[in-house]
Amino acid sequence: MPSSGPIIAADQVSKSYGPNEVLRRVSLPVAEKDMVCVIGPSGSGKTTLLRCLALLEQPSAGCVTMRGTTIASSKPDLAERRAARAVRPDIGMVFQHFNLWPHMSVLENLIEAPLRVKRMGRDAAIALAEQLLAKVGLADKRDVYPMRLSGGQQQRVAIARALAMSPQVMLFDEATSALDPELRREVLLVMRQLAAEGMTMLVVTHEMGFARQVGTRVVFMDHGEIVEEAPPETFFTAPKTDRARRFLSLFAE
Amino acid sequence: MPTYQFRWDIIPNNIDFLMSGLQMTLIISATALVFAMIGGLLLAALDMSRYLAARAIGLTIGEVIRNTPILVQLLWVYYVLPIVFNIRISSLAAILIGLSVYMAAFMSEVYRSGIQAVPKGHREAAQVLGLTPFQSFRRIVLPQAIRFTLPPLASNFVQLIKFSSLGAVISVTEITRRGMELSSSTFRPLEIFTFVAVVYFFICWPLSMAIRIWEHRLAQR
Repeated sequence: MPSSGPIIAADQVSKSYGPNEVLRRVSLPVAEKDMVCVIGPSGSGKTTLLRCLALLEQPSAGCVTMRGTTIASSKPDLAERRAARAVRPDIGMVFQHFNLWPHMSVLENLIEAPLRVKRMGRDAAIALAEQLLAKVGLADKRDVYPMRLSGGQQQRVAIARALAMSPQVMLFDEATSALDPELRREVLLVMRQLAAEGMTMLVVTHEMGFARQVGTRVVFMDHGEIVEEAPPETFFTAPKTDRARRFLSLFAE
Repeated sequence: MPTYQFRWDIIPNNIDFLMSGLQMTLIISATALVFAMIGGLLLAALDMSRYLAARAIGLTIGEVIRNTPILVQLLWVYYVLPIVFNIRISSLAAILIGLSVYMAAFMSEVYRSGIQAVPKGHREAAQVLGLTPFQSFRRIVLPQAIRFTLPPLASNFVQLIKFSSLGAVISVTEITRRGMELSSSTFRPLEIFTFVAVVYFFICWPLSMAIRIWEHRLAQR
């Protein structure tokens, strides 16, 4: 595969729950070093799209590809399942509610997957974890249990945990929505740093300022469809559609 | 009863007889606990199975057992099973079967709620990181579920110890039965059944207190 192709892509992905169609033929390729911000009103299907890319939801139609290989569709065959298992560690995901494992210390949260999925040696895994904790500014919290951390600190640990698998793309599902405003900054700072280092990212967010400053591309979704897609400056200064204009006006003060 | 003459010496005079009953009570309780824990696990596995038929079987068994009296079940095992299957069942086997099955139906609910108390997001985090479903269950779900499960499991054990006294009805020689026998030969039910109650109390009460402290600690974590 040439490096110019997308790392991960949704191709005509639809998702229905019973008669309820949450995604309608959504196509979204994410290229290397892209920093795509997905915005839109709640119920627009942003999170479902992200969860399809993270292989947590199975598309009802269409498919998800990773470097050209299909990894999710409505009727996966054996080869596809195998491909999905193989690329799992390459797709990192950060959840709205952190989802740290409360019975494990911060360090144990970080080394669990490298030890068991990558079969990394314990010393190497610990060294990597310490390095990542330093990177998110939490080196001193190594042996603390998640309950003792603030929401912002927990989310930074969750980011470090995802990075410990050296993913090729990071998915963020409203990573700051569950946080108090003063704790959001520290998480956004880490995400900004990741973007600056060239991490490929797909970020579902309500942080318009962040999307505008850090995003390389903004995708606006409504009613399960991509309504508009543009570079951030263009999108925020001159949205083409009515729906986008109406949505943005909610944030204007 | 102003003229009642207490004869507490009945107790020390027959202490070996009564203690052999206590020994039986403890053996029955411990054995039934092990069987109930294993049986409960199997029933919980049925209840949470992917297959509708397995779930239906598990849920039906559970509902029937939980919604009929244990005494009736015990009598059923002791008097009906032998007729149906043309076998001999000793009273000891009957109480063990009856108690184990009855408590298993409650244990399975304890396990199930323990497992379901682990947030779905914890499993999704494991899944996204590439852990297999088995790894996720063993490393993420089980350790947390056990924590939620232990205190209610222990209070079921207290229930089980008390229910073992029903063995007296089918002449299992546990402590209640020993009390009944002693009382009918000495005509001293007051002293004897008071003593028997005190014995149960001092086994169950410390357990209950320990559970309360335990739950309190869990809540603080």
